[in-house]
Amino acid sequence: MSLIDEDEALIAAALNGSAYAWEKLVKRYESKIYNHGLRLTGNSSDAMDLMQEVFLGVYRNLHRFRGDAKFSSWIFRIAHNKAVDMNRRKRLMTSSPKFSAEDEGDEFEKFPGKTDLEPENRLGNIEQNARVLKMLNELSSDQRSIVELKVFQSLSFDEIARLQDVSTNTVKTRFYSALKKLKVVSEEQNVLS
Amino acid sequence: MSCPKTHYLLQEYFSEDLSAIARNELDRHLTDCEHCSVELESVLLAQQDLQQWQEQRVPHWDRHLELYRQEHRIDRPVSRFWLSWQWLPTAASLAMLCVLLFNVSVVSNDSGFSISFAGSSASDTNLNGQLAEFEQAQRLEMQQLVTRVESRQDSNNVQLLQAVMERAQQSTADSFDQMYAYFEQQRLLDLQDMRVGYEQLVDSDYETIRSLQQLVNYVGYQSDIR
Repeated sequence: MSLIDEDEALIAAALNGSAYAWEKLVKRYESKIYNHGLRLTGNSSDAMDLMQEVFLGVYRNLHRFRGDAKFSSWIFRIAHNKAVDMNRRKRLMTSSPKFSAEDEGDEFEKFPGKTDLEPENRLGNIEQNARVLKMLNELSSDQRSIVELKVFQSLSFDEIARLQDVSTNTVKTRFYSALKKLKVVSEEQNVLS
Repeated sequence: MSCPKTHYLLQEYFSEDLSAIARNELDRHLTDCEHCSVELESVLLAQQDLQQWQEQRVPHWDRHLELYRQEHRIDRPVSRFWLSWQWLPTAASLAMLCVLLFNVSVVSNDSGFSISFAGSSASDTNLNGQLAEFEQAQRLEMQQLVTRVESRQDSNNVQLLQAVMERAQQSTADSFDQMYAYFEQQRLLDLQDMRVGYEQLVDSDYETIRSLQQLVNYVGYQSDIR
């Protein structure tokens, strides 16, 4: 039985009231969603909140899942929407957004509160992850989201464009801008280390 | 040396739907253009750095309970009403703290209530008068109590004395009887002893007389011999 078939079987059992199937489904995707949230938000607490919101969304809308798309795509679409909502909420609660000179016309707001972020402390001793988070912290929320979807979720530019409701060219431009920014940070880190 | 095509070409480089012809042209340009190839190499290195990410373990969470809690919170907006009153205990605590700090006192009198701070107000004289009256009343009552206790103590003392005297009289009479009986007994014993003594004395006198008679007889006998 393939992973997709297993997903569908678990979904069907969960919809019939099987707590075991639901838990298995959650366990199957929680790590991916949590790490997705960690890279997007930069801290464990927000990543946990995001993950729980995602699974709550899945729980409520599981009966609407028709199986037209892969369950993984569906759940990451929910995760993306929840992350956007969370970012918007945080933006409303904190100070005015920052703008980047390199961004081309769009308001690439920074993630709130990330200037005082201490990835080393929050992620323990995983140096590589701390290094990645430090690089991602330099990106705006939109750039960060695109990098996450392209590099870590392996989505195509067209899929990202549909998710973010922008043109494919905008996505390409933002992605390349993000890579250029990451290149600078990476070079700085290499010099320092 | 920069290249005007770098920006466009490199952002297309990461596109998945690039045609085979376009991909070939791009590769050819990258081979020929050093600037673009260096730029591509550096952004690929940055992308490679990102891919060093290691999957983090999810912290422990109760998959059913957490979801239930979130669902519960959302489905019961009534709780928000109580949440809006969360400031109440804090406000009450603050009020109590102010009452303690400023030593607030509320006094009720004929004209109503009066609130005073730090224990100083016009109600002090009123309070002092009330205290003096109370002291006087207490003193009077104490005096009455002392008098009553004293009289009761006196009567108790008299009763006690009478009881003691009665007991003493009775015991004295008993003692006299006992003494009389004792003396009588002693007298009888003495008389008996005296009788025995006299009898012994008489006996010894008889012995003495008999000895004297024997002596006389002896002396008489000796003189007869001569």
